[in-house]
Amino acid sequence: MSTDTRADEGGSLLARPLNWLETQSEEVYAYVLLTPAFALLALVAFYPLIETFRFSLLADAVASADPFGEFIGLGNYVDLLTADTNFTQQFISVTLTDSFPFVAFGAPFLQQAIFVTLAFAILSVLFETTIGFGQALVLDQDFYGRRWVRVSIIIPWAIPIVIQGMIFFLIFNPTIGFGTEFMQWLGVFGNNPLSSSTDSFLIVLVADIWKTTAFMALLILAGLQSIDRGLYDVAEVSGASPWQRFRYITLPLVAPALLVAMLFRTMDAMRIYGLIDATAGCETVPSLTCLVIIALQNSRRWATASAVAFLTAVVISGFVVVYLIALRNSEGGVA
Amino acid sequence: MTDRSTEPGDELTPGADETTLEAAPDGGVADAETVDQPVVNPTADEPDLDRGLIAAWAAKMITNPDRAYRASFYVATIFFLVTTLFPFYWLFVVAVTPRNNLSEVGVFIPAGFNPAAFIEVFTTLPFHRYVFNSFLIATIATVAVLLVGSLAGYVFGRLRFRGRNVMLLLVLVTSFFPPAAFFIPLNRLFNTNVDVLRPLLSAGSLYNTPYAIFIPLSAIFLPLSIFILMTFYSQIPDGLEDAARVEGTTRIGALFRVIVPLSAPGVATAGVLTFISVYNEYFFSSLMTDGRPGSWAPMLEGILRFQGEFEVLYNLMAAASIVAVLPVAILVVVAQEKIVSGLTTGAVKE
Repeated sequence: MSTDTRADEGGSLLARPLNWLETQSEEVYAYVLLTPAFALLALVAFYPLIETFRFSLLADAVASADPFGEFIGLGNYVDLLTADTNFTQQFISVTLTDSFPFVAFGAPFLQQAIFVTLAFAILSVLFETTIGFGQALVLDQDFYGRRWVRVSIIIPWAIPIVIQGMIFFLIFNPTIGFGTEFMQWLGVFGNNPLSSSTDSFLIVLVADIWKTTAFMALLILAGLQSIDRGLYDVAEVSGASPWQRFRYITLPLVAPALLVAMLFRTMDAMRIYGLIDATAGCETVPSLTCLVIIALQNSRRWATASAVAFLTAVVISGFVVVYLIALRNSEGGVA
Repeated sequence: MTDRSTEPGDELTPGADETTLEAAPDGGVADAETVDQPVVNPTADEPDLDRGLIAAWAAKMITNPDRAYRASFYVATIFFLVTTLFPFYWLFVVAVTPRNNLSEVGVFIPAGFNPAAFIEVFTTLPFHRYVFNSFLIATIATVAVLLVGSLAGYVFGRLRFRGRNVMLLLVLVTSFFPPAAFFIPLNRLFNTNVDVLRPLLSAGSLYNTPYAIFIPLSAIFLPLSIFILMTFYSQIPDGLEDAARVEGTTRIGALFRVIVPLSAPGVATAGVLTFISVYNEYFFSSLMTDGRPGSWAPMLEGILRFQGEFEVLYNLMAAASIVAVLPVAILVVVAQEKIVSGLTTGAVKE
């Protein structure tokens, strides 16, 4: 391949670079073809990530034209983590902190945000995995109309986040929705759930489970379908009950796919923003990404926002590392 | 009831643990086809015991656990169908309820019938423009991702070169980071006025242009497409590519004339997933424009705009949501196989 001497029929503007490409080794050819992808990733991901980190080391300059002040090292992080800044009082009302039962009284905003994000990620992934497993087991059967059941299970996954938010915003709207009344009847919700942190957290959780369970179901289904059906026949012949077949064949063999799916979902859940913004609003259920936007838009604290953004990335990377180690231990690694 | 289940269990499964008990009639018999016989016999003397309706049903379930599993399967299927589809139905109920009756809207039946809401959506706001903006952005992003992703997927799937694994890891890592970590510098970048762009863009900056949304989104959804395309491209036999080269196409020509057409399902998969992802995206879509339809604000701004200054138009919000969800719903129905295979290959390949 590298000793190619064929000349392209000239004339077009493309001919020269194409001819040059023909004469290069496979390695050079590979790098050339990768250039556009990496240029795009560099512009949108690598460069901004480094810039975010650099910004986070600068001071806030709320009043001046340039929102960044002088270099202050890790000061923003220290202030954030120890809550020395008046960051807390800036956008969060005291009543909100009172009514939030999960965290300590008067907890700083960042700690609330970290708590909300982690609690949301863990709870949503847990529920989505369980329900998704159920859906996958249903989809794994052969039955009449399976195609349409699959379509209707996938559809929530495919709808825009803003519409997902709208649906749950309307359901739990006190005047028109039925959700508030129902939950009050159960004795869980207050009068206006979308302005109470706890109730909104539950709404956001349910909305997310409704939408993304399908994603888990599809990934688990792929794992299920890769299992050798012969194993089930053997188990049936030797007298295993359906539960035993599930426990000793399905579960261990599907575990690697399950872990990968959970990894994807966890990363995704920790970025939660749009759903909150479209239902309860960022001040009611502060996630980490919400905090970035609040700091940017409400108070023009660009450097603090950068620090929060970078912190979010660090927290997510931490989770990814934990998962990858678990994955390596469980099945001798993937990829 | 209990004696019915223990009776065959005692005879057939000496080494039973707690779970084999209820499965005894099925598990004790070697051939799956003969399972029915021992089940029929115990149920034959059923009337003698004179059970109640529920007790009889329970006994049937115990003597024939397969039946119980099938029943629970149907219950689960119906439960999943109702929970996933009911919110859409209710959205429709809200949409067709006249605005004055909205406080009386029920759970299942609309309070009145006003299909005109679906026309009002377009007259109150230029909602069609918002949807068009979203469509345009999603289409451009899809084309860009497929083009760039094809080149990269080809390289990762078919070529051997130094640094391959490191670069693949780099691509993977970018999909881990939250968009918020990219947003601040990008926002600054797109807001700076670049004089070179002045002839092309009226304001001289990328803010309020489709570029400000589709450039970041293309990059963010690029890794998934690269993984999908890589998988499909690596499955094309080398001989086909070599034959094309012998026939006299260039290297690039071999990629776009042989590899890509042969991997059409993979390309369609990556395209459908990218389109849906970009159309559905919230973070950049809500932050990179000022929300006016003329500024290329996407569909989500349109829906949120129905929370007007004086009155929240709930029924129009619902109607607009239904209108905006139709394109993706149709796409899912048409291309569900592609979506399923795309999501799973993307994940299995890590």
